[in-house]
Amino acid sequence: MYPKMAEPPERGPVSTPFSDRLVATLPRLRRFARGLTGSASEADDLVQAACERALARQHQFQEGTRFDSWMFRIVQTIWIDQLRARDVRKEDADIAEERLGTDEPMRRVEARLALGEVRRAVDRLPAEQRSTLMLVTVEGLSYKEAADVAGVPIGTIMSRLARARIALQQQLAGGDVRRSRDNAEAE
Amino acid sequence: MQKRNDETLVGYLDGELETAERRDIEAWLDADPAARERLAALAEATDMVRGAYQDIVDEPVPERLIAAARGATPSVSHPSSDANVVVLTWPARSRAILPAIAGNWRLAAAAALFGLVIGGAGGFFGGALVPPNPAAEQKVAAAAVNNNWLDNAAAFYKLSVNAGDTMLVDVPASNDSNEALQKISQSLPQQVRLPDLKPWGLNFRGARLVAVDGKPAAQLVYTTDNKAIGPLTLLIGSSKQPDVQPTFDQRQGVNQLYWRHHGRAYVLVGQANVGYLWGIANDVAWQLDAI
Repeated sequence: MYPKMAEPPERGPVSTPFSDRLVATLPRLRRFARGLTGSASEADDLVQAACERALARQHQFQEGTRFDSWMFRIVQTIWIDQLRARDVRKEDADIAEERLGTDEPMRRVEARLALGEVRRAVDRLPAEQRSTLMLVTVEGLSYKEAADVAGVPIGTIMSRLARARIALQQQLAGGDVRRSRDNAEAE
Repeated sequence: MQKRNDETLVGYLDGELETAERRDIEAWLDADPAARERLAALAEATDMVRGAYQDIVDEPVPERLIAAARGATPSVSHPSSDANVVVLTWPARSRAILPAIAGNWRLAAAAALFGLVIGGAGGFFGGALVPPNPAAEQKVAAAAVNNNWLDNAAAFYKLSVNAGDTMLVDVPASNDSNEALQKISQSLPQQVRLPDLKPWGLNFRGARLVAVDGKPAAQLVYTTDNKAIGPLTLLIGSSKQPDVQPTFDQRQGVNQLYWRHHGRAYVLVGQANVGYLWGIANDVAWQLDAI
């Protein structure tokens, strides 16, 4: 007679194709939200709110269109609503250490500092430039897809991207970021 | 001729220009060194932004987000209650029965059921379901083990399992599976060896380098056709904390069996019950000299 074995844990609610897609998109939604908010905890709160809204409005999603773009639009809409509600104007000095995220990548110290500097530089961009930069440069959406998400013409997307990258280049090019990254790569 | 400005340079970088526009920009770049320098600077800024956010997609997704996406009531991850924790005792080092059943997971699983694998006399199946001083041992184990470590182990497991057939591994298994471990080990303080779990029907699928509490760790991913066991992951990291006896626990809805030995932390994670995990943990510890 052998001891009674532990019962397997109960599984969660039954999956649906919609929620499966949602779960699969979570890593990218978290990244997009991190770029928007600059904060790991705020980003996850934002993604959670977006998940709840998406599930409530899943009937509005049109099959054949990009699911990730639809979710990015929901994330962005909630984020803009939150910005308006708070009327928050971030100051550079207020950027907390936590904005670097709670689980930083395993890199050398120099490279990690450089990545943090880049994220802080992105955080200093105006909200609409930050969002456009994340959609196109990080998430790989085309200009048209980004324009659909943001609800603006393609020309506006191009303009925002150009201004965002120039501002970043100016912030990063002559600063410690570039030097520290070069040092890290040279080692 | 269209405008030659930063907007079109950015559009060129992103591959968003029509053929005629692209040729015009290329002619501009050929003729104007300042434009080439401008393009290079914009390209560098673009690469840095991509790089700065790349690793976020590899982070474990918090349980509350997965629950939200599943339409479940959002919940905060809590350390398990003492009721779930079972502290176990390593048996004497013997593996006599294992070679006889190697290659047949059904035999291995049956052996685990009856406590035959790896000298169960001093272990879980030796009647030691309740340890001699359970309250004290549980407190020691709970205090000694970092909760974040175990929560992260559960989250990394779910990340791998949710990926389905496209397993999330940095280094997939190959003919020489130790090669995968060597690559991962380059980023770890200590060399990691690969336990052979084929007797359990578990096939090594690959390894990932993950970050746990700011330190690198190796996650080894195994799968099996036996739904009672797999899939299963083994997380191996470094630790400066004291040794911890093998302990069964449940985190975020998955089962774990963890222990620490001589500066290493080990966590087996899966849906398999305590019996299977205990048998597999014995095998892992025996193979890795981690008892």
